[in-house]
Amino acid sequence: MNALILVRIHTLAVLRELMRTPAFIIPTVGFPAMFFALFGLPYARSSSATADFIMCSYAAFSLVGVTLFQFGVGVANERGRPWERYLRTLPVSIVTRFAARVSVALIFGLAAAGLVALEARLLTPVNFTAAQWLVLTGYTLCGAAPFVLLGIAIAYWVAPRGAMPVTNIVYLLCSFAGGFWMPPQYLPSIAAAVSPYLPTRQYGELVWSVAQSGHDARTAALALVAFGIAFAIVGAVGYRRDERARYA
Amino acid sequence: MIRFDNVSKSYGDVRALSDVSFDIAAGEIVALLGPNGAGKTTAIEILLGLRHADEGTVEIAGHLPQSMEARSHMAATPQNTGFPDSLTVREVVTFAASHYRRPRTVDDALRAFELEELASKRLGSLSGGQQRRVALALAFVPDVPLVLLDEPSTGLDVESRRRLWEQLRASVDGHHTVLFTTHYLEEAEALATRIIVIDRGTLRFDGTPDTFRRRFGSRRVDYVGEPLPGRNGEVQRVGDRTVVTTADTDAYVRELVRAGIAFHDLRITQSSFEDIFLEITGARS
Repeated sequence: MNALILVRIHTLAVLRELMRTPAFIIPTVGFPAMFFALFGLPYARSSSATADFIMCSYAAFSLVGVTLFQFGVGVANERGRPWERYLRTLPVSIVTRFAARVSVALIFGLAAAGLVALEARLLTPVNFTAAQWLVLTGYTLCGAAPFVLLGIAIAYWVAPRGAMPVTNIVYLLCSFAGGFWMPPQYLPSIAAAVSPYLPTRQYGELVWSVAQSGHDARTAALALVAFGIAFAIVGAVGYRRDERARYA
Repeated sequence: MIRFDNVSKSYGDVRALSDVSFDIAAGEIVALLGPNGAGKTTAIEILLGLRHADEGTVEIAGHLPQSMEARSHMAATPQNTGFPDSLTVREVVTFAASHYRRPRTVDDALRAFELEELASKRLGSLSGGQQRRVALALAFVPDVPLVLLDEPSTGLDVESRRRLWEQLRASVDGHHTVLFTTHYLEEAEALATRIIVIDRGTLRFDGTPDTFRRRFGSRRVDYVGEPLPGRNGEVQRVGDRTVVTTADTDAYVRELVRAGIAFHDLRITQSSFEDIFLEITGARS
């Protein structure tokens, strides 16, 4: 069958399944917006420049969360399911199924970031041109790629029961030290020291370049590509290890 | 349709299959029998491309089991259902069908396994028996030449199992080749045109159900009366009845008449599949 049709079929199947689990969908999509309301809004109201910056941070925060959890926790839980074994007997390639998973994560990620943007539009003096919105959307989506791969690496190296706590810690620590909740210059000294070496910080630099000068989108993009390659290698080794154990 | 040639497979020190060979031609309905741990599931997993044989050659319609070509030629049921709970019956059957070139219609597949009324129910709300039927619908909706069923009726009560057999028989027509595993001999007898028995990883029997009985099935003469003198071992006395196990029941009856022993209520019975099976596998299932 046509691979694109199958991507759509698999995307819809996963979307349907997740959409019918409100306990999954509401926290997943709503969490970044809630966090933004609690910790971002009080500062974002002060000026347009601050609002722009904080909204960009929370947009990135949304995508990091959704991709890490979709791949880290989602894949970890599924790799042992009987249903996964059944899917492997269907005439559909692993690449097609992966593409479907990425589509699902991006749809949820965009929904979560969209809620943050909506909140910012309604409640803060955020001030973006149409072009800026467009660039932000593009950067937010592309910059999420290394986190998809990081999620996969976690999924294949951490036991299914460990995937949730490990993902949570990685997510929250990296978000904090990456500067999503407070600008890097206000970070405590240890966090400030490790910050430049985190993928979240580079993701931040990328999206912040839409809001203000002084952030180098090109360097950030290169760093994210490097992180992506590193995570892809770690994930691929873990995947092969799991394949050998489960399907040798 | 299936080539399974000198296949061996070990998991660490455990030898799951050792040098097992069988070819299956188009149109055959084959029961793969064996007690738990015999190697049935390993054989099916190798055919499905879920595991690799350590040695030997495996082909599905001339293709390697892992290849897309092989996978488009065959369909399977999951052994443990474990469906995505929140999808409906119709959705999951449609999902399976959409991977194949010329599937049956979804309605047709639902009808074949009496699932029309459950079509809009979520999989998580179905009973075990209903889920087994959905699993079978998933294997038959693709309408591909080869269907592999791993323990299609495990966990069902006797009545549901018989119903399932009827539905299976109705779904299999001349152009399907079916290989199913089971540990119910009755199921093999009800559905299969050929029986393959594996035990402890080795092939113990391969032939028609008739040959199977003839080779392993001893017959019994059972009557009210005295036994023939001079026969030991195979003679049992149950109350006033004599039960004699012998390969040639006709000869025994002839001798009985010749010896002038009075008897009545004489019956000749064949041992059941279960008895035969215990005999082959050494009463260890």
